[in-house]
Amino acid sequence: MAKILMIHPDKCTGCRNCELACSFVHEGQFRPGASRIQAYTWEREGISVPMMCQQCDDAACVTVCPTGAMHYSTTQENLVEWDDELCIRCKMCTIACPFGNARYDAASSSIFKCDNCGGAPECVAFCPTQALEFVDDEQQVRSRKKAYAAKFKEAFQEVR
Amino acid sequence: MIVKYFATIRDLTGETARPIEGAPRDVRELLQQLAQRYGAPFRRAVFAGDELHDQIILLVNGRNVRYLQGLATTLQPDDEVSIFPMVAGG
Amino acid sequence: MFGWTGTILRVDLTKGKVTREATDPQLARDYLGARGLGGRIVSNEVDPTIDPLSPSNKLVFAPGPLTGTFAPSAGRFDVVTKGPLNGSLAGSNSGGTFGPEVKYAGYDAIIIEGKAAKPVYLWIKDDEVEIRDASAIWGHNTHDTTDLVRAETDEDAKVACIGPAGERQAPIANIMNEMHRAAGRTGVGAVMGAKNLKAVAVFGSGAVTVADPERFKAAVIKARNMILAHPVGGTGLKAYGTDVLVNILNQTGALPTRNFQDGHFPNADKIGGESLAAKVLVRPKGCFSCVISCGRVTKVDSPAYAGYGEGPEYETAWAFGADCGIDDLNAVTAANYLCNKYGIDTISMGATIACAMELFERGIITAKDTGGVQLTFGNAAAMVEMVRQVGENEGFGAKLAEGSYRLAESYGHPEYSMTCKKQEMPAYDPRGVQGIGLNYATSNRGGCHVRGYTIAIEVLQNGAVMDPHVTEGKAQLDITFQDLTAALDSAGACLFATFGIGGAELTEMLAALTGVDYTLDEFMRIGARIWNQERLWNLKAGLSKADDTLPQRLLSEPIKTGPSAGEVSHLDQMLPEYYALRGWDEQGVPTKAKLKELAL
Repeated sequence: MAKILMIHPDKCTGCRNCELACSFVHEGQFRPGASRIQAYTWEREGISVPMMCQQCDDAACVTVCPTGAMHYSTTQENLVEWDDELCIRCKMCTIACPFGNARYDAASSSIFKCDNCGGAPECVAFCPTQALEFVDDEQQVRSRKKAYAAKFKEAFQEVR
Repeated sequence: MIVKYFATIRDLTGETARPIEGAPRDVRELLQQLAQRYGAPFRRAVFAGDELHDQIILLVNGRNVRYLQGLATTLQPDDEVSIFPMVAGG
Repeated sequence: MFGWTGTILRVDLTKGKVTREATDPQLARDYLGARGLGGRIVSNEVDPTIDPLSPSNKLVFAPGPLTGTFAPSAGRFDVVTKGPLNGSLAGSNSGGTFGPEVKYAGYDAIIIEGKAAKPVYLWIKDDEVEIRDASAIWGHNTHDTTDLVRAETDEDAKVACIGPAGERQAPIANIMNEMHRAAGRTGVGAVMGAKNLKAVAVFGSGAVTVADPERFKAAVIKARNMILAHPVGGTGLKAYGTDVLVNILNQTGALPTRNFQDGHFPNADKIGGESLAAKVLVRPKGCFSCVISCGRVTKVDSPAYAGYGEGPEYETAWAFGADCGIDDLNAVTAANYLCNKYGIDTISMGATIACAMELFERGIITAKDTGGVQLTFGNAAAMVEMVRQVGENEGFGAKLAEGSYRLAESYGHPEYSMTCKKQEMPAYDPRGVQGIGLNYATSNRGGCHVRGYTIAIEVLQNGAVMDPHVTEGKAQLDITFQDLTAALDSAGACLFATFGIGGAELTEMLAALTGVDYTLDEFMRIGARIWNQERLWNLKAGLSKADDTLPQRLLSEPIKTGPSAGEVSHLDQMLPEYYALRGWDEQGVPTKAKLKELAL
């Protein structure tokens, strides 16, 4: 069973605790620009959506990387890993990712890309509304599917 | 006597208010009566063991029972009781 | 420096000059930031006797040291200035995400001085600062202003701006950030408008650094968990928002009704948090680093009042609701949206309309004054129309924009203005809750609840319970709340974090963040210092013991109906003890001994 970092935008309040936790665990300081996850807010509509690396099975960043710095992890399931030593900072990965989830940070001269924090993502731990979940792939959509199933339960149940 | 419910207490009782029959002598007796009616979730919300749960604000005619006689506060037939979970704002 | 950035930005709009200076570490230590540091700057640099709308006034935007970190619900900032409503050392606190952005851009404070010759906005991108022409943006509401400024700067810039009300220097004008958050009170928007400053846009790519990361993270996790475990901080506010207060204040008999003519509103439930959640709520919203999510994204479908935005909060629902005798939630919400767009303080606006309604019902003003509008209590359409007129500067709106004190005084009846130091009192009746009355009377910036929120103990049972009808112990209660809040505000924290944590947890986070060995004692002393600093300056500005009072109505007319019927405020029983415990003389002047103790 692989673990997936699942997003529930309907629960996101735009508080950006995820960005702060991510930058803190990776950089030891609070610099949302250094976060691998970004929660975007549209003020007029009152909607916020967190975005981070989707750990693609057939990753564009891995395909274009000339040195193998971007590679599929051999130790963790469902993880695309970045190797600092092999990376030549050509930035091809940042061009290739269709979601914009790999970026080059000039300040630290590195590629920022989600690493699941070694299996215990800090963003998930710090999200106050469970808009981010680190779940087994089997349960990835369970809460959402079940929430709608519950509406039928309410409509049809005999026992109250 | 009437008891009014607010915020999450409305979810526990399924209503916003209820006129009270009989004549409960004090708040404890009233709450026992209501717990009989609404069941275990309500009982758990208002009682902590034998005491009033500390996350409940209970007013008799606008006065918080915690500076009256607590659960022993006596009730009159025309009293208005309000039950709130702890709430806040600014 | 850790926590603080170490740099203060100074913008002289008269000369069009931008300079930087180092943050004085001793000042930072002793005043923290935000309200305290901003207050120290205004105190040092602004003559207390000037006209607040003159170029000699200064407007300081200041986040706190915690702002920009993941300290829970601690991303706030203050705007500090000499307030146009009453000339005090005033200002207002706001959430959203503007404050943290100022830290990431590298600043502990932005000091705005002078006056631009023509409308301008400020664009701050890290250390690149430009004063730009705002003539194409002047006149727009705060939402359109935000979009227009972003189009010229950065789509993710955080924007604090004024609407038409601030441009016209209305003393009840506010400053809005992120479209829906407000530095609401004391007329800060008017000062910004008087400087011809339309907006401040900030984008920051820097960092807030930590002295002891392990200790800070542990302190933050502990604080977070305490807030999330608290029934209010953890679930209540997210489910119902602040508007959940309507019913408990009404059941206590202290919900000011029809311009404080009464303390109980029979249809209060229709404008309360339960109704809001059922009828207009779309989803909760949280400010920067917030774990509480008390914000309300809302929508009104009814054609007469259709709209979309955030709010109303409790104060707003009260001001346009019970205070105006109105039970129509859609109308109240529509009035809230209008105020957010025009940039008007909802408390002062609703309370001013309530005052006008009483003047109208008493025949002191008539349909001739109101342009034919029947401005009576309960008339929701009239209330919303008045807000629109204030925003558009039409008809009777021009008079309402002055606030209730100047309005009532102009008709020869200031006694119908429910204000302290000319600022409208918020949503708690001092006759039903003694301690909050003392806070209203002594608050340095005028009628204010939030800087001494004794309601938490007198009504909301947050940790302790005190009978709201008694005066005993209330002087000390007020002082504790006022001092703690002054320090908390200045740290950058949100008041609602106190539904969960207290001074001890805030002190621990501050110490770990900054590396300064703060103790709880020092934290409270900082609060007392900030309170006394504001008081001292106010005395020089011409305020005095005579202003530490409540409207006569609250002192001598009992509440008519409801659970607090028959009660009046016993301010006279609390004020002398308050002065004594504060270490002030009988005229309310801080003694030399007290000032020495606080290093003032």
